[in-house]
Amino acid sequence: MSGGGPAVRVSIESTCEKQVQEVSLDGMETYVPPLSMSQNLAKLAQRIDFGQGSESDEEGIEAEPKDPQDWGKTEAEEDEATVKFQPSLWPWDSVRNNLRSSLTEMCVLYDVLSVVKEKKYMALDPVSQDPSAGKTPQVFQLISKKKSLATAAQLLLKGAEKLSKSVAENQENRRQRDFNSELLRLRSQWKLRKVGDKILGDLSYRSAGSLFPHPGTFEVIKNTDIDLDKKLPEDYCPLNVQIPSDLEGSAYIKVSIQKQAPDIGDLGTVNLFRRQLKAKAGTQPWHVKLEAAQNVLLCKEIFAQLSREAVQIKSQIPHIVVKNQIISQPFPGLQLSISLCHSTGEKKNHRASPEKPKPDDHLYVLEHNLHQLMREFHKQTLSSIVMPHPASAPFGHKRQRMAGPMAYDKAEISSMQQNEGLLEKIIKQAKHIFLRSRTARTIDSLASRIEDPQIQAHWSNINDVYESSVKVLITSQGYEQICKSIQLQLNIGVEQIRVVHRDGRVISLSHQEQELQDFLLSQMSQHQIHAVQQLAKVMGWHVLSFSNHVGLGSVESIGNASAITVASSNGEYAISVRNGPESGCKVLVQFPRSQSKELPKSDVIQDAKWNHLRGPYKEVHWSRMEGRNFVYKMELLMASLTPCL
Amino acid sequence: MEAPPVSVMPVTGGTINMMEYLLQGSVLDQALESLLHRLRGLCDNMEPEIFADHELVYLLKGQQGNPFLLRARRSLSHPAAPWHLRYLGQPEVGDKSRHALVRNCVDVAASHSLPDFLNEMGFRMDHEFVAKGHIFRRGALKVVVSKLSRVLVPGNTENTEPLSLSSLVELSVLAPAGQDTVSEDMRSFAEQLKPLVHLEKIDPKRHM
Repeated sequence: MSGGGPAVRVSIESTCEKQVQEVSLDGMETYVPPLSMSQNLAKLAQRIDFGQGSESDEEGIEAEPKDPQDWGKTEAEEDEATVKFQPSLWPWDSVRNNLRSSLTEMCVLYDVLSVVKEKKYMALDPVSQDPSAGKTPQVFQLISKKKSLATAAQLLLKGAEKLSKSVAENQENRRQRDFNSELLRLRSQWKLRKVGDKILGDLSYRSAGSLFPHPGTFEVIKNTDIDLDKKLPEDYCPLNVQIPSDLEGSAYIKVSIQKQAPDIGDLGTVNLFRRQLKAKAGTQPWHVKLEAAQNVLLCKEIFAQLSREAVQIKSQIPHIVVKNQIISQPFPGLQLSISLCHSTGEKKNHRASPEKPKPDDHLYVLEHNLHQLMREFHKQTLSSIVMPHPASAPFGHKRQRMAGPMAYDKAEISSMQQNEGLLEKIIKQAKHIFLRSRTARTIDSLASRIEDPQIQAHWSNINDVYESSVKVLITSQGYEQICKSIQLQLNIGVEQIRVVHRDGRVISLSHQEQELQDFLLSQMSQHQIHAVQQLAKVMGWHVLSFSNHVGLGSVESIGNASAITVASSNGEYAISVRNGPESGCKVLVQFPRSQSKELPKSDVIQDAKWNHLRGPYKEVHWSRMEGRNFVYKMELLMASLTPCL
Repeated sequence: MEAPPVSVMPVTGGTINMMEYLLQGSVLDQALESLLHRLRGLCDNMEPEIFADHELVYLLKGQQGNPFLLRARRSLSHPAAPWHLRYLGQPEVGDKSRHALVRNCVDVAASHSLPDFLNEMGFRMDHEFVAKGHIFRRGALKVVVSKLSRVLVPGNTENTEPLSLSSLVELSVLAPAGQDTVSEDMRSFAEQLKPLVHLEKIDPKRHM
């Protein structure tokens, strides 16, 4: 320390003041025994708050006022330390150390202050402090939170933008539909190949076995005539197909049977009204177009085959081929017309509406059958029967290859070949359909016209293209169990009807409508007589005579008349019935002689027993007889003639 | 017995003169599967037909230079099928632009006594082989992919060894003479089989 003055001797002695514990009555002071070092330490140590952090990091300026505290603390700490490590140190060592350190610090402080005051070596400038650093921590938190939220928000916005962009792109894609993906879809259903820089396809049936020379190639082109600014139409497709010009539009084959046209002038002008093709929702426009073109091609092939056969095959009545129509005569008075109706679609207005009121006599079944027959023909060319074994042999039917080694003659070879063409098959089918519908009409008209014997027809569900069958039953109402002798099985073929009777007779009827009608009428009249026969059995009457084809009486123009005679159980009465399809029924009753009045008395017959025999006949007014049908009336008649017992 | 003099003349009259248009190529066995798949797709839609044939080549040596050659072939997988006798003429030397080999062809089906008959006629069997493979067709086009095997013991078709590690591919059409559009179709079909197999016309004379 600078400064004058004599050195002052500092003597230090501890205050020996001891606390008075007690003053006894005789004035003696009992002092509290001074604390020993360890006790003192303990006392001081108790005062130390070890929880409070040491503030030795602070500036030296602030350190000074706290020095005595520090002093105590450090002393305590040092004491502790000295207690731990060096128990036999000078007790005032710590005090001396502390003093020395404080002196050092004071010197330093003084030096710093003097340097700063002189402003020769160092100058202090105020540092602009961040107001926010000094501000309260809450604002800082707010600012930091704001920043972090802003970053998070930016990330989310970026993600949302990406999502919305992809959604928009998807929609764009769905509408725009990439050309390549569309091409892939096209390729999965149609045959395509690349020729140069063009994509060509094949829509013909050649790979399925057809031998039609039409190439059937279509071209795939990119649809570039779109305006990107305008909204794309709903059915926009980036791919377009160009089909050959002769396959455009739609076509079908119309098969119909009509009465023979009176004049030949209006042939070839068949109505070509367009049949709307219903496209399934979701199918591409190119698919619809290609399918329609393929259908047109198949119809053309069918018609070409039919017309070729119509010209080449010799038949009794030649077929007429005019423009797009083939006409043939299956039955006299009838005309079968097969026509190819191809409408290209542009001439919509020309579709004549006067055709509409005409009933649709289009036989759809035959059109379908034509398609099927054509496809079967295709399949035949592809069947493995054609493949040669050994492999070097030419293609051809397996059987025909055997013709050489097995030495077939001409008859065998011709029998091996297919002699029925498409046209013949269709004509046969048409004939059968017509015959079947006419038979049904005949039976139905008879059934509705005639009530007394009822006629029932049970058509078989399972038919052939060339054959159908129907079972016809003739019964009387109320007596179905008794009178069921007339049951006919009709097998309707292509040109004739074969009838199998219950009793075993087989009759062939031609296609004439009248023949069937006449036959059924004759069967109905026979049924009445058969019914009487059955009834007699039930009623107990005896059948005296029965004939299906009676030779007496007037000649019937349809069939023959039948007759029966029955006698009552006691023989007194007899009933004779004659029934003919045209002449109707005639019933006569024979009475016993005793009841008739007009018999003259004769000398020859004298015995009374002869009066019991049957005598003259009397006709019954059948129309005035009570009963709803013939058999019922007959039953009543029989009942009335049977005596009550 | 000395062979009687035979004049070799083409068959005339009575039948249509059929020509065979031929393109040949070969494919290694490793690539056979892919070629079969390709052919299955390109050809008519049928089940692939497998065949196993035994062919015998008969020669008739006349006094003149060129011997007369007949090929008799029978099916091993269909023993009841008739034998097939074939005569192939010389390849027609037309213009070089024709893409396929064209030669006259006569095909005859014969009964099972054919080898004996040929022997009696004076033919002698030159060689025989067994061919196994697949046949495809596309309209009138026939594609035969066959693996040829050598017969070790004459007459025994069970004991065979393959001639090579590849299969022979033949594209042929039988058409009456004069139809040249056939070779165009064949060429376009052969184009579609590249690069799996290169079919080209191979003149047999040059390789003899």
